[in-house]
Parts: sequence; C-alpha cells; structure tokens
Amino acid sequence: MKTHTVDRRRFLQGAGVTVALPLLESLRPANAGNRAAGPGTLTGSGRVVPRRMLLISNNLGVLPKPFFPTTAGRGYELSPYLRELSGFRDDFTVFSGLSHPDVDGGHSTENCFLTGARGPTKSGFRNTISLDQFAAEHLGPVTRFPTLNLGVNIDRANRSLAWTREGALLPAEESAAALFRKMFVQGDPAAVKLQMQRIEERASILDTLREDTRRVQRKLGQDDQSRLDQYLSAVRDIEKRLAVNRRWELLPKPTTDEQPPRDIQDQKQFFEKFDLMLSMARLALESDSTRIITLMVDAFATPPFQLHPDQKTTEGYHNLSHHGQAEAKLQQLADADHQQMKLFGKLLAELAGVVEGGDRLLDRTMILFGSNMGNANTHDNTNLPILLAGGGLKHGQHLAFRRDRNQPLCNLYVTMLQQMGVEQEAFGSSSGNLNQIFPAK
Amino acid sequence: MNTRKPANRIPRGRSLRSVVFVAAGLWLVAVSAAVENRQSPKKLIRKFCLDCHEGDTAEGGLDLARLPFQPEDRKLLNRWVLIHDRIEAGEMPPDPDRLPQEQRQTLLKALKTPLVEADRTDIGASGRGPWRRLTREEFEQNLRDLLKLPQLDIRDRLPEDREAHRFNRTSSALDMSRVQLAAYLAATEAALQQAMANENGPPPVTRYRAVGTRLFSASNTFGGPKAMFFASGNRAVNGGELAAIKTPEKLELALFRSAHWPYYGYPRGFVAKIPGNYRVRFSARAVLQGDGFQLQPAEEPLPMTFRARKPSGPDVSGDVRATGGLLDIQPQTAVYETNVRLLPRETLEYSPLGLPVPLARNVDGGPPTYRYPPFPEGGQPGLAIQWLEIEGPIPPASWPPPSHRVLFDEWGPAVQPLHPVQEARRLLERFVNLAAREPVPAGVLDRLNQLIQKRLREGHSFADAMKTGYRAFLCSSHFLYLRDPSDPATGKNDSHAIASKLSHFLHSSRPDPTLIQLAAAGNLRRADILQQQTDRLIHARGFDRFVHHFTDYWLDLRYIRRHEPDTRLHPEYRFDNYLVESMERETRVFFRALIRDNLPASLLVDADFVYANDRLSRHYGLTPLSGSGMKKIPLPDGSPYGGLLTQAALMKVTANGTSTSPVLRGAWVMERLMGEPPPPPPDSVPAVEPDIRGARTIREQLALHTQSESCSTCHARFDPLGVALENFDILGRWRTRYRGIGQGKSVTGIDRAGHDYHYRMASVIDASSQLQDGRQFQNIQELKDLLVSDPRPLARNLLKQFTLYATGTPIRFSEREQIESLLDACHDEGYRVGDLLHALVQSPIFLGKEGCR
Repeated sequence: MKTHTVDRRRFLQGAGVTVALPLLESLRPANAGNRAAGPGTLTGSGRVVPRRMLLISNNLGVLPKPFFPTTAGRGYELSPYLRELSGFRDDFTVFSGLSHPDVDGGHSTENCFLTGARGPTKSGFRNTISLDQFAAEHLGPVTRFPTLNLGVNIDRANRSLAWTREGALLPAEESAAALFRKMFVQGDPAAVKLQMQRIEERASILDTLREDTRRVQRKLGQDDQSRLDQYLSAVRDIEKRLAVNRRWELLPKPTTDEQPPRDIQDQKQFFEKFDLMLSMARLALESDSTRIITLMVDAFATPPFQLHPDQKTTEGYHNLSHHGQAEAKLQQLADADHQQMKLFGKLLAELAGVVEGGDRLLDRTMILFGSNMGNANTHDNTNLPILLAGGGLKHGQHLAFRRDRNQPLCNLYVTMLQQMGVEQEAFGSSSGNLNQIFPAK
Repeated sequence: MNTRKPANRIPRGRSLRSVVFVAAGLWLVAVSAAVENRQSPKKLIRKFCLDCHEGDTAEGGLDLARLPFQPEDRKLLNRWVLIHDRIEAGEMPPDPDRLPQEQRQTLLKALKTPLVEADRTDIGASGRGPWRRLTREEFEQNLRDLLKLPQLDIRDRLPEDREAHRFNRTSSALDMSRVQLAAYLAATEAALQQAMANENGPPPVTRYRAVGTRLFSASNTFGGPKAMFFASGNRAVNGGELAAIKTPEKLELALFRSAHWPYYGYPRGFVAKIPGNYRVRFSARAVLQGDGFQLQPAEEPLPMTFRARKPSGPDVSGDVRATGGLLDIQPQTAVYETNVRLLPRETLEYSPLGLPVPLARNVDGGPPTYRYPPFPEGGQPGLAIQWLEIEGPIPPASWPPPSHRVLFDEWGPAVQPLHPVQEARRLLERFVNLAAREPVPAGVLDRLNQLIQKRLREGHSFADAMKTGYRAFLCSSHFLYLRDPSDPATGKNDSHAIASKLSHFLHSSRPDPTLIQLAAAGNLRRADILQQQTDRLIHARGFDRFVHHFTDYWLDLRYIRRHEPDTRLHPEYRFDNYLVESMERETRVFFRALIRDNLPASLLVDADFVYANDRLSRHYGLTPLSGSGMKKIPLPDGSPYGGLLTQAALMKVTANGTSTSPVLRGAWVMERLMGEPPPPPPDSVPAVEPDIRGARTIREQLALHTQSESCSTCHARFDPLGVALENFDILGRWRTRYRGIGQGKSVTGIDRAGHDYHYRMASVIDASSQLQDGRQFQNIQELKDLLVSDPRPLARNLLKQFTLYATGTPIRFSEREQIESLLDACHDEGYRVGDLLHALVQSPIFLGKEGCR
C-alpha cells in the first residue's frame, strides 16, 4: 500500500485549545458538594472521575477477515488492521461474536446501532432511545451540551446514531464550522432568550406543582404519602437541574486561540472529513463542552472517493462493499479500512496526550469504534466488528464470543453505561453485561 | 396443586348479584371467627422448623429463631405469609412426615389467624394498596379522549413502565422520577401543541392519482419479473415496450412478493407533506401468475395491507407501520377504500400478506441476481392493481377542530380576549372540569390560575399562558394518579374513584360522561347499576384496549415477535409475518369472546371450536378457510386444538425459536394458566437444553428431574404439562417427530424466501406422562380431559390476574377467603369468565371496604 503524505491537518495543528473554562470547577452548583465533576465513577482513591464517551460507527463496516484477530484472550495476535493501533495495544479491547438480536435487514440496521431496536424493516417498527441519549438523560446537564451528534457524508434526513425515546431521529451535524461556533462563539441573544423562556416556563410549572403537592400531602395515608413523596422529589430534582441549565445559558462559552475550521464540502475527501470530525470530537471532549458524542460515518452515501491524492476508488463505497471477492475491490476496501484505523489511532494518540486531573483524557473517555454491518458483502448483520478503547477499562485483550450464537451488543452498552456512572442493569436488548472489562477494584 | 373445594355451595339458579351478597356475608362471619382462636405459632415453629432454620447455618438463610412474629410490621407480615404458604403447599418441611397432617393444620391455623387480622388492620389503616400512577398507555389514552385527538401518539415519549408480578400496572412498581416527570412535561407540551389550531382553516387537501407505471416506484423490483411486472391483457409487458404504451389505464401492476427487505413498493411521486389521515381508493383483483408471466384469475382472495414509511429506497429509515387495516382483495376487480395515517414525508407501500420473499444474491461481485421460490401448483397467488388515488389530509368536520375547542371554547385560532384575567379563569375552570376525573378543590384551581396570571403579567401570549396552566394540571398528582376507593383518607362519596378504576380497568382510560354522572349522583355502589355499567364497557369498542393490554402481559403476547424461527430447522416459517400476526389476533379474539360471550373458564384448556383465518386454518391442518378475518369454526373430533392452552400464539411465546422445552412450557402454563408459579430454580443447575444434533433426547434429560428428589418436588408439578405439549412445534403446528440436523431422514428444498434448506426428521415424540397426583395421560387430549375436570384453579387464577390488573395490588392475604367465596358464587354456572369479572368488580376487593349496596 502507498503511504500518503498529504497534509490533512488543516486545523488544530498545535497541541490544542486554551479553554477559558477548565472543566466544571467554576460551575459547581452551590449544593452539589462532591458531585462537582458530575456523575462518574469512583476510583480506588475515592476520586470521582468524569467519564466520557465517543461512539463511532461506519455504516458499511470493515472487511471481517483482516479485522478480527485469529487468537483470543490477553496474548492474542494483532490482526492486520489492529496493527495500525499496535502502540495502544493495552488501551483497547477488540470484541468478536457481538451483534444485536433480531436487527437484520441489511442497511436498515444502521439506525439501530446504538439502540438495538428489533426488526427495523418490519411493520410496527419504531426506533428506541440510543445509548448516548439514554446516558445523557441519566447524567443530566453536567456540560453545556448533553450530547453532540456528528456525521461524515451523512444523509441527515434518514440516518443517525442518535434517537429519542419516541424513536425520532436527531440529525447529525456535518459542519465543523457550525460545531465550532456552537462550542466557542457566544450565542445570539434571541436564541438565548428563547431558551431561557422555556426554562422559566418549566420552572413556574414546577413551582405550582410543588406547592400543590404539599397541600394534597397533608391529608394522606402512609402508602399514598410515600407515592406523593416520590412525586415531590421528582419535582425538586428537575428544579435543581433547571437551575444548572439556567446557569449554562448565561455563562460565557470557553474560548480557544485556534482559527475556526473550514468545512470540507467535497464528499470525495472522505478521509479528510473523517479526520476533521474526529478532531472536532476531541476538541469537544477537551473543552468539556460535552461528555457524550456520536459520530456516524455514512460510507453508504459516499460516492467514489479519493483513496490517495492520485487515486480515486473505482466506484462508490457501497458498490465497493459488495465486492463478491473481486480482488480489485477488496484491495481498495482494505486500503480504506487501514486508513480509517490509522486515523482512529491518531485520535487515541491525541487523547493520550491531553492530561486532565492527572489522568490521560484517553483514560476518561470510552471510544467505541464499530459498525452495524458484520459483512457488507452479504448484508450480514451478525458478528459485528467492535472495538472499545480507553475510559479506564481493563483492555489489551480480544474478547471472543461464539460466532454462531452472538452475545447481544447491548451487554457491552450496559457495561459502558455503568462505567459512565449510570447505574442500570439493562439497556435495549441486553441479556446481561460485559463487566469483565471493569478494572479490578 | 391447590385443590380447595368450595365450603358452601350456593343453590343453583340464583342471580350472580345475590350470589355476591351472600359471599360478602360469609366473609364477615369468617372475620369474627378469626379473632377468637388466637394462639401463638411460635411454639409449633420451634418444634418443627428450628432444626434446619436456626442460627448462622440456617437453611436458605432463614433463621426462624430470630424472625420476630410481629405481623403488624408489614415487611414481617409478608415474610410470614410466605412461610405460611410453603407449609400449606406441603413444600416445608421437605420431608412431609416430619409434620403430621393434624399438627400441620394446627400450625397453619395458628399462623393464619393473626396474619389475617394484621393484614386486615393494615388495609383499614392504609388502604389495600397505594395510589397508582397511570401507565404510559393510560396517560396517552386519557389525553386522546380528553383532547379529542384519537391518534395522538405520545406514549413512546415516556419511559417504559416497570413491571411487577408480570404486569406493568402494579402500583408498587409505578414509580415517579425526574426522568419520568420531565417526560410528562414534554409529552403534554407536544399534546397541547397538537390540540391547538394555529391556522384559520384546515390544511389544504392534496389529491393524487396513479395509473400505469406510476403505480410502482420502479419498473421492476427485487426478485425480477416473477416478483412484479406490469401487465396488459393478462400478459407481462417488458421494460422496452412500457415506454411505448400510449394508454397507461390499460396497464395493471402485478405483485407477487411480500414487503420485506429489500423492497420499496410505493407509488411514484407521492409523499405526504402534512401529517394526518389520508383516504386511499384503489381498484384491484387477486390473480395467479402462470408460466411465462401470465395472469389468471385467482380462486381465493388475497389479504393485503399498507405500510407507512419514508420513500427511502429499499433501506428503511424511521418508522414502518402497517396502516389501513387488512383488506381481502377478491378475484373480481373491485374498488377498495381505506384510511391511512401518514406522517410528514411518508408514503405508503403495498404489503400483500403471506407471499414469498425473493432471495437477492451477489454472485462473484456481479450484478444482483434473484431466486424466486418455486411456484405452488396452479400458479403463484398475487395482486393486480389498476389504479390508486390518495386524498388528504382529511379535514376535521369543523374548524377550529374539536381539540381546539377543548382548550379555548369558542375562540378561534387567535385567542385574544378583551378581559384576559377573567377569561383565563373561566377557560381554566372549564378545562379542569373536562380534564379532571373527579371534582377538584378550589385551592387547586386558584394555584393554577395564579400560574396563568403570572405568565400573562410576564407578557406571554394569552394562548401560551393558558397552555402553561393546562400543562401544570395534566402533570399534577390529580391527573397522574388513581386513588383507591378504599383510601382511608378520602371522604364518604368515593364513587369517583370507582368510576375511574372501572374505566381504567376495562378501557385503559378516563371515565366517560355517563360514568362521571353516575359517580356524581353516588350511584356506582348500587349493584344493578354497577353491573349494567360494567357490561356497557365490556361491549364498547374501548374494551379492545383491555383485551390487548391484559393479554400482552398475562400471556406475554407482547413478546410474540421476540424470537425469530430458526430457519435451519423450520424453513417454512421464514419471514412468515402474516402467520405470526394471525396467531396473535386469534388469541385476542378468543379471549375477548370468553368475556363478552361469558364462556366457562375451562375453555382456557379445551374447547370444541377455534377462531381461524386462511393462514391459521392451514397451520392447524383444518379445512382451508378463505379471507384474513377470524371466523369461529367447530373442530373435528379428536383435534388437539381448541382452548387457549394449545393456541399457536402460546406455543410461540413459550418456545425460543429453535426448540421447545417441556420445562419452560410446563412452568409457564403452570404459572400463567393454573396460577401456581414455580419457585425459582436452584443456583448452579444448568438448564436443560435440547440437543438438535440428536445425541440425547429431551426425555433422557428430563429423567434427571425425577431421579433427584430435590428436583422432582417441583418439576413433577410442571414438566408433565410441557411434555404433553411436545407435539406442538415452536409455532404451534402439530408434529409427530422432532427435527434435527444430526441424524435421521433428510428433508431438503427451497423455502419461501428462496433459501436452500436441509434438516432431518429425528426421534418420534412421546407426549405421555403423569400428573403429580399419579393420573396418567397419553397425549394432549387426555391431559386436557384431566385438567378440565376441575376448572376451579383456572377460575381462581383468572380472578388473581384480574385483581392485579384492575387494582394494581395482588390479592392480599386476608382477601383469600373472599376470593374463594366469589368462586363459590360462580361455581354452578361453570365459572364463566364474564361472571368472574363481574363478581370481582362487585366485591370489596375492587370497591373498597364499603362494597356494594
């Protein structure tokens, strides 16, 4: 394979950003005490460490053969693709034998990657809440943006990794410039005002409900009383969060001395776009603008693209993926897969280079890199390629499950939620968890 | 198995109503008797139980020496009830000879009397259960009915409700949290937004008509011409000639495949811009495809429906919804009309039911090729469509629509009253009056009014300020919770709580005006009126919601699509969604008939009829029926079908898609139909897994359960039931042999989705066994005979399930005798299911301690 030397780093060349607002120390709600850093996991030394996650999917996946290692366990041998990440061997776990039960129907599964909703092509199908939204719902407004949803070459109307509880698509942001503005440029006063109005309306409703409940409560039996106590604490809980929301709206955004990025419009510049979005994700994490990011790489919608400065693919990404074992197509796909793994490795290196509270940012950020496609050539949605890096988990192994009887991918999501500090035993189609990757206490 | 016999028989011929009074009377006698015989059970416990249950090494971690007998404490009460039940069931002590029958009865009585007394005191003080929060289905239905928005769709905005005791309506599990309440706030905002009209008139109506090639998204589809073509004069017109056709009206769209990925079968150039109901009219006929792509008239109708989806090509994005109901397309050309519900940017897709799915293959990187499954004899059934029209959204009958009037009375879209302060108060009172299920104290109105006035003072528009107030009410405890009529804190006239309880039980929604009026007049405790109202609700349309939700949880029908059939062993079921849909419908229709037609509880086990349609009649091996609708048909003698027990839907939810397990099926039937949940299996025992390679038979594995005594005490109760069901495969079709992939006669072919299959016929099924009491049976028919000989456990279980569903609280310990009295009252008529339901509604369990007048 050729190595290419094009300077893809049009942006964020230096070590990073001056973030005027370091984490949340200055944002501590008056009564939040030790939870200042927001929910997270308690480390051995009793510190609460903020946890983050970045969830990436390429909706056509990778060639399975060069991706999956042939040996399992701790001393497994790196596969050709994983050799691109050899410097980080102990910072990621590769999984095989994971998939979403009953999520088949070829490409229609891409919207279920983080939801696990069954039967995406069947009548009566409605998507469900995605991992990122679920985590954000439980973590609350610890950062300015509960989540960010990014895309590369994405068909925004139809595809997304992020879905609401009622199955509505949350469109992905494709513009790096817009993301930059969102994160670092002060909002226009009208938008802030509108948002404040919504918060105020909610606050006055809750005020009324709290007062109303107190009156009802005075004349109840013990059981009913405890039901109403629960209701009342729900009211108070939202009120507290509204107070945090209100402060976020009024606080100045962090600043950076970087120039705003320029958007890449050309869909052919596939790797440049992917690289740029990974940088935006890193920037968002570094500035603590959010702790939860999704990134869908819409390979399906990617036309023939620039494989190297002097070489374009012979056809669109989707057609390539139906290679039917044709050598010419396989070569191009492997090349593209290798380059994406490289960019992923670069992201790991950058996150490892940022230190926050004595930890590498990488150790506070779980990065999931995977796909809804196990084998795009045959539209197989089992045996998905799944890689999880960072986040303070016990890595450095190939966790292999049965290829003919996959484990639910949502089991991994349950573990990720718990590592985020969301105490849930179940998510989506989970049947358990993969807590064996938790570090020994 | 519990074989309590009725203590007092009610003379035959009395009406149900008087029977219930007598039952309540008997219960009072029991109360006074209980108080006299108080004797501490501690002495007997010490004598019979402490050998094993004492100290740090106590069996099961239960140290009875240190468990105080203080049933006044509710936690302790529940533990002692559990101990009582295990002794009563004969499970403890494990060796029955250690506790002779006579002393067992003494001990049970010594336990029971104080437990009943304590339980009754607790009910008197706190009610029989806490307030129950509305489930998300109920909340949505309340808003639909209140706002007159029958298609309001907000349930999925709310988190799924937790379940306890197998139902999601159990009060103790219906918690409230920040996430929950935030979701209510968001859902009500969306609902009010939808209810309010912002325009001066209804949205414009779009009309669309397709003929010829515009009837389909492309000139061919996945599967090639065998799956779809355009025909003229009953012959296929090939692609080249299509363009030359001058009179597209003469073309027909001929379709022979199911709507399964990859497929996009929608008409060209139509997409709904505005959400709403659209009227669809089309002309069609059922056809057969013969060799050479020729059309012949069909002999049977072909069922179809539409699917709403975005026109995103073969890959689906967003919702996919069957809409427009089932239509049976007849062999003669006719015009059909239906309504479909479309969201913005959605179109509608033809979805013929029960047709094959072609297999798409990419061979060696070449263009896709298809394998269409072999035609059945006589030709491949399909559908021919001549034209199609869509019109909509269908405007409401009046403008502003009824939903807007609920919020703003006579005001049009612009709500700008001259005297906003007074008008706000008037509209608020009017709205709360419509929304509340019972009179609301003036203080509540005052607080809501203050909220609205504050918003007005802050400069918000009148309509916005009103909506803020409405939202506050809809998210308040008054709206979100259901009170119990026996709530000790409520006043005398708790008829309103009865009205709400009854309507949420039978319609999953708020009481209608009739019920509210009767409640206001205090008439709902009158037995005759209550019976009449219960009957009225049972026969109204909203009752389908009860049937749906109740069977969803009681029988796990909500999981009917959980396991896909394993196509290695059951290739004939690949993608057969129509079969699964039909079996689900059969069970719901059957259960509805049990109540509406007041049929005996024994029908849970056996009946001489089934409800079936075209697909199910073939599945059950009956004389083929035509049409998708469920028809009640008599069964031939000796049929293994008939009764809930052997319905395909139950067989499917109790199997895992690959194989059946007598253990799981038996335990499920024991719990769900007989009302006796087996205790959880001990730790560290692996599950029995059928070996589809055929090395060990399931009988050999089950034999382990009878060899070990610790297994057999429980397994002997339910394994046999599952064994008798082994003749039903994973989807409930009759079989005499297992299928496997190891040994046996080879069966090969191409399935309905074009895949090659190869399985083997394995061992012959032996469905004979014996019940725990020693009664033997050879097959399912004989087991059914044994079970129907005593229908009382079936009836008792129905009462148990109804109680939980209707009240949100399981039957309390002190209510068990009442339940037996209700059963006695229904005994003579054979425990008819409708009678059981009425008996429960008229009992103090449902109505609270004051009961019926």
